[in-house]
Amino acid sequence: MTALLEVKDLHRSFGPVKAVDGASLTVDEGSVTALIGPNGSGKTTLFNLITGHLRPDGGSVRFGGADATTAGPAALHRRGLTRTFQQARIFPQLTVQENLVVASGFTWRELFGRRINPRDAEAAQRLLEEFRLAHVADLYAAELSYGQRKLLEFAAVLMSKPRLVLLDEPTAGVNPVLIETMEQHIRERNAAGITFLIVEHDMGFVMRLCDPVVVLDRGREIFVGTPAEVQQNPAVLDAYLGA
Amino acid sequence: MHALIQGIILGILTAGVYALMASGQTLIFGIMKVVNLAQGAMVIFAAYLSYQLFASFGLDPFLAIPITTVVMFALGVAVEWCFLRPLRREDKAELSLLVTFAVALLLEGVMTVVWSTSVRSINTSYANSSWTIAGYQITLVRLWAFLLSLVALGVLYFILQRTGFGRAVRASVQNPESARLLGVRSEAISALGFGLGSATAAAAGSVYGLLYPFNSGSHYDLISRLLSIVLLGGLGSIGGAVIGAVIVSLSSAIVAATISPVWSEMTFFVVLLLVLIIRPRGLFGVASRGAI
Amino acid sequence: MGAKAIGPARGAVFLLLVGSLPFVGVQHWVLNMLVFTLMYAAMSSAWNLVGGLAGYPSLGHAAFFGIGAYIEAIWFQHHSVVSGYEPFYLLPLVGIVGAVIGYPFALVAMRTRADVFAIVTITLLFVGQTLAFNLTGLTGGAQGLAIPPAPFSADSFERPYYLVLLLLLAIAMGVTWLTMRSKVGLSLSAVRADEDKAAAIGVHVGGVKMLTFCVSVGITAMVGGVWAAYESFIYPQFAFDPLITIGIVLMTFLGGRGTLWGPVLGAFVLELAQQYLAYTLGGNEYYLIAYALVFLVVMLLMPRGILPTLQARLRSRRRRRAMPDDPVAEPAPPPIGSAADYAVSIPAPNGSER
Repeated sequence: MTALLEVKDLHRSFGPVKAVDGASLTVDEGSVTALIGPNGSGKTTLFNLITGHLRPDGGSVRFGGADATTAGPAALHRRGLTRTFQQARIFPQLTVQENLVVASGFTWRELFGRRINPRDAEAAQRLLEEFRLAHVADLYAAELSYGQRKLLEFAAVLMSKPRLVLLDEPTAGVNPVLIETMEQHIRERNAAGITFLIVEHDMGFVMRLCDPVVVLDRGREIFVGTPAEVQQNPAVLDAYLGA
Repeated sequence: MHALIQGIILGILTAGVYALMASGQTLIFGIMKVVNLAQGAMVIFAAYLSYQLFASFGLDPFLAIPITTVVMFALGVAVEWCFLRPLRREDKAELSLLVTFAVALLLEGVMTVVWSTSVRSINTSYANSSWTIAGYQITLVRLWAFLLSLVALGVLYFILQRTGFGRAVRASVQNPESARLLGVRSEAISALGFGLGSATAAAAGSVYGLLYPFNSGSHYDLISRLLSIVLLGGLGSIGGAVIGAVIVSLSSAIVAATISPVWSEMTFFVVLLLVLIIRPRGLFGVASRGAI
Repeated sequence: MGAKAIGPARGAVFLLLVGSLPFVGVQHWVLNMLVFTLMYAAMSSAWNLVGGLAGYPSLGHAAFFGIGAYIEAIWFQHHSVVSGYEPFYLLPLVGIVGAVIGYPFALVAMRTRADVFAIVTITLLFVGQTLAFNLTGLTGGAQGLAIPPAPFSADSFERPYYLVLLLLLAIAMGVTWLTMRSKVGLSLSAVRADEDKAAAIGVHVGGVKMLTFCVSVGITAMVGGVWAAYESFIYPQFAFDPLITIGIVLMTFLGGRGTLWGPVLGAFVLELAQQYLAYTLGGNEYYLIAYALVFLVVMLLMPRGILPTLQARLRSRRRRRAMPDDPVAEPAPPPIGSAADYAVSIPAPNGSER
């Protein structure tokens, strides 16, 4: 396997707080990599650094073999790296269908075409059926339940045919049935060639789905291994229990 | 060279007055996230009040300040209570701009009815006396106005730093949620904060009336300067407002002294645009959170 | 889906109906009132592109009205008016110049959001007024500028201005309609809801914002040009008038921002009422107070405007019928014209999530 994403020695402080302090990790093409760690270990900051929402103080990020350290979110999105947010960031004043279409990315010429053309509608419909959201396609996204919003954001991310998707706690606050659905979708998409990097607290979810697992503590990785190895590693237990 | 230094002196003295007005406005933003477009009209209203007190009772504008301060404070609380509190939270940021603009128009209308549109000025006995130091002329009124503004800013600083009210205000500016949990009554703080912000218009108004002739329409000119100042310094930052006032007044005065008074009116706008190109949030801008 | 085919038909009927009024013997004072109403309807409609669809509350549009007026006036200091139609021929140029001036300004101003944007734009208005007063060589300063009056017959003097303004209104509404139906409109809705997220998922945020702003101020400048020709004498304080900005914004808010018909409805209700009051009461000094009070009452009672309020009510009824007991349904669907996200849509420029 080749590395799709390489993070080397990344640093970022907020005032005196070193949120990310020398973190390195590799995400192999075709993997479902998990990023776990106790609260405040810097997972979300690391996500923000990788996706260009924050600038690192030091270190480097490479994506698809090219440097991506200072690229902004829009540029990275064009290169096939996209993400979801912990609190699903959808467009509440757009309909569910429009949320998908707007995320599909269009050229200047398409910009002046129909708001939703038959091709858009078809692509959105396919995805919505897959995610069992077809019945709410014409509702405003603001009218969705919390779990449905997370599904919608996930579906929207897939519209642009990404290479790497970063999911920030896809199951937090979501009911068990939806968690299973989410897991299913990730599996299917991964089989279709999309690589995932997932921040997650639900250990069962991580153990079933991810390999390898990267453990982060105090802003740097302390362990990388299979789910089974992680569960037996004393340093990991320490980080969760001792801190 | 002489003109330049004269311009700098004038600019610094003027800056004090603008700093006072702008600090009230930025304070209101810090507390309520409301850009008070009526601040200019409030200053003019206070100027009319001290004009009237002087014309009717011969009360010196400087001595009238305690009275006008009380009136302006009450006016601010009333405006907050009548027009801003009823706005729903999600509409507040946008609608408050329009509502305070409407309040400005309302005040302008009232002032037009009461004092007509003819230009007034407060002509005290000392209005035209000045000192000359090393060939540079310093108008007495301007110097006093400057000192008074410093005192008023000091009082404002004291209120915010040393009183329970001030602590509550600062807490709710920095973190409204936890302040509420700690028992700070945000509604009361909003009303008092708006009152306090308006009260700064009282001292500023007396001074403004002494320095410049004015009529009910003068608030447009005033508000555009004030807005530039608070944006320059960064909304919500009092220190930023003071520095913004210095930059705006100095650059205007220098341009007026060296190039032409016509272009001095434009200076603050150019400075503002330049700053916004580099820092869209102003020099000391605070994002969605405020800081004082 | 049928509603989409009705849209243009409804627009055509409205325009034809309004367009026929000058030919059916409507009195001069009524036509004069309607000229101003159309002026505001066109400008509100144009403002709605920026203030409603993109969610950028510009308070500086009156500056472009003034710019348009002064371009007309300055041009006819050096050219003569023979047939009376020359000021109209100049309008495309006025629109283009307005848009070209708007571009660099928007490039800076649109780096800011919400209230800061409103302030930066209103400052432009005051600067415009200052310039008009002070550049006496060009603008005549406080003396104002005259445009030679058109030799139209007194019977139908208003007619050409009326029709040209109606045309501008049609253009503004047409542009709005096309925008809403295209992906430009979709992108603008995303910008309005969450600009940072929109940029991050590849929406051409800067492009659509600039385009919309330039078109909007271009139309506004053309309206200013017609106004200058109609008045045939302009002064800085009336060409660059904060009350024009406020009128535009208020009408759009009253009717419903982000909708096609809202700004037009708002303009017809408010401007007609205002003109009628001014006509019957005369230029009373209580006028400003009354205006401000009406303004405040509208803001406090109908913060979302007439049309969105009605639409939300209709929609929730239809929804209740469609899905009687869906657990998903939450009680308060925000209508499209809601500002629900203003408070949260002002994140720090370089990402504040941690």
